[in-house]
Amino acid sequence: MNKATEKEKIILFTCNWHAFSSLETAGKKNLVYTPALVPIRISCLGRITPGIILKAFEGGAAGVCLVGCPEGECRYQNGNQGAQEVFEESRNLLRLLGYNENLLQYHLIAAGDGESFQKNVDQLVKIIQDNRKTR
Amino acid sequence: MNTFAEIVQSNQAWLCLDCGKCSSVCPITINLVGGYTSPRLLVEGAVNSGMDRVLEDPLLWSCLTCQRCSEICPSGVQFSEFIQDARTLAREGGQSGECTHSGMIQSWMRLMTDPELEQNRLDWIDDGSKTAPESEVIYFPGCLPYYDTVFGKMDIEGIEIARAAVKILNHLGIEPMVLENERCCGHDPYWQGDMDTFRKLAELNLETISQTGAKRLVTTCPECAYTLKYTYPEQIGDLGLEVQHITELLAEDENLQKLFPNNGSDLYSVTYQDPCRLGRFMGIYQQPRDMIQNLGYQLVEMDHHAHTSTCCGTSCWTNCGQLNKKVQSDRLKEARSTGAEKLITSCVKCQIHYRCAQGDPVSGQEIQMDIQDLTTLIAEKI
Repeated sequence: MNKATEKEKIILFTCNWHAFSSLETAGKKNLVYTPALVPIRISCLGRITPGIILKAFEGGAAGVCLVGCPEGECRYQNGNQGAQEVFEESRNLLRLLGYNENLLQYHLIAAGDGESFQKNVDQLVKIIQDNRKTR
Repeated sequence: MNTFAEIVQSNQAWLCLDCGKCSSVCPITINLVGGYTSPRLLVEGAVNSGMDRVLEDPLLWSCLTCQRCSEICPSGVQFSEFIQDARTLAREGGQSGECTHSGMIQSWMRLMTDPELEQNRLDWIDDGSKTAPESEVIYFPGCLPYYDTVFGKMDIEGIEIARAAVKILNHLGIEPMVLENERCCGHDPYWQGDMDTFRKLAELNLETISQTGAKRLVTTCPECAYTLKYTYPEQIGDLGLEVQHITELLAEDENLQKLFPNNGSDLYSVTYQDPCRLGRFMGIYQQPRDMIQNLGYQLVEMDHHAHTSTCCGTSCWTNCGQLNKKVQSDRLKEARSTGAEKLITSCVKCQIHYRCAQGDPVSGQEIQMDIQDLTTLIAEKI
C-alpha cells in the first residue's frame, strides 16, 4: 500500500454483538487487518442512517463498511433488516452523487470468528480501494 | 457579514408596534406546548436586549420562515428575513438548529459543493421525455431525483413530477435542456443561515447555468424558483435569464390555449395548498387555481388559503418534532373538512411533509387524503 492510500481512512461500523465480538477475537489472536480501517462500535447496525454514511464521506472517508449480525440473529429483532434497507438507499444516493457505489460495503459476520472477520474485512477493503480510483 | 444592529434595522424589526397580530397567526406560536414565545416577543427582545435574547428563543430555529407574520404586520417587519440573518449570526457563534433525517440532506448539499463532482442525476429521463442537449429553455428539477430515492417509500411523487414537467413542455413544443451537473439551489442552507454552503452552491450553479446561453429556466419547485429568481441576484449575481415556476409559464396566454383548449367537464372536487415560496414570497396565487379549474376540477378552498394559507409545517429540514406534526395534521384535517377528494399542491416538500404526517401509526388514520402535485395533475390530461 502506498502512502497516499495509507492516509485514507475507511470507516467500519460494527454492531455491539456478533460483529464486534469477531473483531475482538481477531484482536486477541493478533490477526492483522489493514490499518486504514477505523472501527466505530454502535449498539446495533439498525442505528445506521444514510445521514451518518454521507457524513463519513463528507469528512473525507475513502469508504464505509457496515458489519452486523447474521440474518435472524439480531439482538434487537430486526436491526440488520433495517441496515440492509439503509445500505441500499445509501448506495442509490452515492450513485446519484457520482460516487462509486462499491465504496459502501455491507457484510454479516458470526460471533467470535476472528479469521472470518480478518478475511472478509480485508476483502471489503480491497473492493473499496480498487473502486476508489474511479472516485 | 452584518452586525446585529444592522439586521435589526434592515429588516425593520425596530418598527414593531407590539400589536401582537403576528402572534395570533404564527403556526408555531399557536401550537407551542410549555413556555411561550412569538415573533412579537422575539423582536421586542431583540430590540431591547440584543442578540443574546434571540439566541435563547426557541423560535430562532423552529420558525418556518413562512411569512405568515410579515403578511399581516402593519409595520412591515420582515420577520422571516430577520430570522435568516439572525441564524447566520448564530451559526458564526457555533449554534445551529437540529437537522432532520440525521443530517442526510444537509450532507448531500455540502457534498455538492465539490466543484469536481460528476453526478448521475439524469437517469430518470425515459423514452417519453424529449430533452435536448442545447435549448433556449432549461428545466431545473432541483433535488427531485434525491427526494425520490429517499422518500419514494412514503408514496410521494418524486421523479414523476419531473417527467410530468417535461411531458407538458414537450406538449407545448419545447424540448428543454436538463443540466447534467446542476447543484442544489441552496435554498435550505440559505434559510438555515449556512451562507458558506449557499455561496458555494450558488456560484457553481451560476457558472453552469450562465454558460448554457439559455433564455429561460423553468422549475417545478417553488423554493428553487424563489432562490434562483430573487436570492441569487441579491446575494451572488444575476443568472442572465428569466426564472419561472412552471405555473407561471403555463399561465401565459398561448400556453393556456394549447393546454386547455376548452374547459373540461365537471370532475371531482379538489382543494389547493399554497406553498409559502410560491404564494406569499412570489405572489402566485391565482395561476394554479385557474389551471385546476380549467382542467375541469371543482376547487373548494380551505378556510386558510392564498395569503392566509398555512405552511406545511417544516422548513429547510430543520427542527421537526411534535409541534410540526401538529401543524401538519391540523392542516390535513382542514383539507379533509372541505369535503374535497384530493389535496393539490405545487411543492414536493409539502407533499413529503404531509405524507410523513399521514404515516403516523396512531393519528395517521384521521388525516388520510390523496395528495397530488399540480404538474402531474396537468400531465395526466395530456
